[in-house]
Amino acid sequence: MGSKNPGCRCDHGSLYSQRLEDPASTGDSHLEASIRDHLIGYERAFDHPLSVTIVVGVVSGLVIAGALIMALRSWISEDSYHQAFRWWRSWCWLVGVIFVPVLAGALWTMLAVMVLSLLCFREYARATGLFREKTICAVVGLGIVLVTFAAIDHWQDDALFFAMGPLVGALIVIVSIPADRPRGFIQRIALGVLGFALLGFSLGYISNLANVVDLGGTGTDYRPLVLLLIVAVELNDMLAALIDRTLGHRPLLKNTNPRKTWAGAIGAAVLTTAMIVAAGGWLFQGTPVARTGWLIGLGLLVSLLGLLGDLTLASIKRDVGVEDVGATLPGHGGLLDRFDGLVLVPPAVYHYLSLALGDSGPLGSEGPHRILTGGWGG
Amino acid sequence: MGGEADRVDDWTLRPARDLELAGADRHRSYQRESGLVANVARFVWWSLIRTELKLLHRLEIHGKHNLPRSPSFVLVANHASHLDALVLGATLPLKLRDQLFPLAAGDVFFHTPALAAFSATVLNALPVWRKQVGAHAIRQLRTRLVDEPSIYILFPEGGRTRDGSMRPFKSGIGMMTAGTHVPVVPCHLQGTFEAFPANSYIPRLHKISVTIGQPRTFEQLENRRPGWDEVTNILEHDIKTLANSHPANSNRDATQ
Repeated sequence: MGSKNPGCRCDHGSLYSQRLEDPASTGDSHLEASIRDHLIGYERAFDHPLSVTIVVGVVSGLVIAGALIMALRSWISEDSYHQAFRWWRSWCWLVGVIFVPVLAGALWTMLAVMVLSLLCFREYARATGLFREKTICAVVGLGIVLVTFAAIDHWQDDALFFAMGPLVGALIVIVSIPADRPRGFIQRIALGVLGFALLGFSLGYISNLANVVDLGGTGTDYRPLVLLLIVAVELNDMLAALIDRTLGHRPLLKNTNPRKTWAGAIGAAVLTTAMIVAAGGWLFQGTPVARTGWLIGLGLLVSLLGLLGDLTLASIKRDVGVEDVGATLPGHGGLLDRFDGLVLVPPAVYHYLSLALGDSGPLGSEGPHRILTGGWGG
Repeated sequence: MGGEADRVDDWTLRPARDLELAGADRHRSYQRESGLVANVARFVWWSLIRTELKLLHRLEIHGKHNLPRSPSFVLVANHASHLDALVLGATLPLKLRDQLFPLAAGDVFFHTPALAAFSATVLNALPVWRKQVGAHAIRQLRTRLVDEPSIYILFPEGGRTRDGSMRPFKSGIGMMTAGTHVPVVPCHLQGTFEAFPANSYIPRLHKISVTIGQPRTFEQLENRRPGWDEVTNILEHDIKTLANSHPANSNRDATQ
């Protein structure tokens, strides 16, 4: 195990490390208390200063944005004001429903990710017409619940979680056979599998990240990592949009999304990577990931896959011929329009960090195992 | 290069018609399309309602063989109670629950967002705004009825009777069905006024029966005022005939 992160005041990671090294040295009641703290304990929400920085930074940003919108009211048209206000209000709600579960505990994070996955899949299904195939939708919904179950249970270093991808994919195929409707079979299956892969399995990796209790032996839990990931992806999206509008000229993929430009993509990549290098240096201090090369790689990965996630949804929308996939969030469109950048990032970050942190097993393997299926000894 | 035979048809992706709507706007829309959650909610709802009507109101259904086997069609009946639409819905097989659209008073069933969500998700009702029902709304309902497999439940009286007697029919049903091939099934409800009249808040355990008449189509009639009136008159006559044929009413006539 690596050394403790000097910036972190938390020590709950050490309990799991201790158990792995010497199961007899820690009583079961202590371990149960630690598991409970990890799953539903909010007391350690702000243990890591990066969590505090992110929350304060985002809330300050919202307050400043709100004040700016109010101040500019007399300078802009009434329509623009209302549009900006709706956009800002939706962001206030989003920050609340994202930050509160992440800070409140791993279980709340996983349940919030499950709800997000189900709502995003609903929008995807309605946009593509898959919602008319009720059996496939039921299997994808079940798959999302099972992915959450696997993440909470944390069975054998995420083996159950990883198995969900192929198993649910196969189940989508199997349940489509008895309908005896060969026409459109490939389309239905493809839409179902793609929907589950992007919005069930891929987003489900955020739940898997919530199993981290001792990041690289630093004693830091999942909270700053998950917050950093979500904020980085959303900032990457906003920075790209800002640069697209102010400096962008050359379209990146004019048929997919004419508003996306090379300048926006490159500018966002530079700024997001810089932010991740700075924040990551703090978060991963004392681990192999703290090296600049690994941090730059992480920043580029988040920025590039964030952009590709955005373009994936843009391709789906152009194919279907709709502007937005929903109208859930005034000023944004649907939930999926807001979180499209996030769909490809979590699995890449999970495996990248597992690789970078060396031979201590997949990310989160130091945490408790088989929480729901019996015993946490594994 | 591939020839004509090598070409693959473009995949047809049909987004939901109400994709751009959210919340109460979506629930009140005639363009509404529902998914899995509503499907399951309606299965539970109609299963409970059928059980409740059979156990507590000893529901009797006469003339079930007159129901068309597949949508589209319209069930029309006399209107005495909020139970009426539930009784008519309970005469249909559960598998038709997603195609069943009771036409409900917008000012009652869609007044608040929560009520609109319930009426749309569970009842699958479509709103009729009684004080401002326009030709455009009727046209939308007619188009949906003709273009998609749909079953409407409609009460041509336009509201619940306050004294148990049938009120004159309004011509909306004619505007929806004159000149179309869509069958209209006249039904007569007996006992719902006694079980749950308009001035009551709690249903009473009174026996309810429904008589389903022979379906009619009005494709030979013009989609104009004379055609609408004729449809309305024919259906009003049919339902009065069904009412008079009911044993309870025959006995009453005999004693009068």
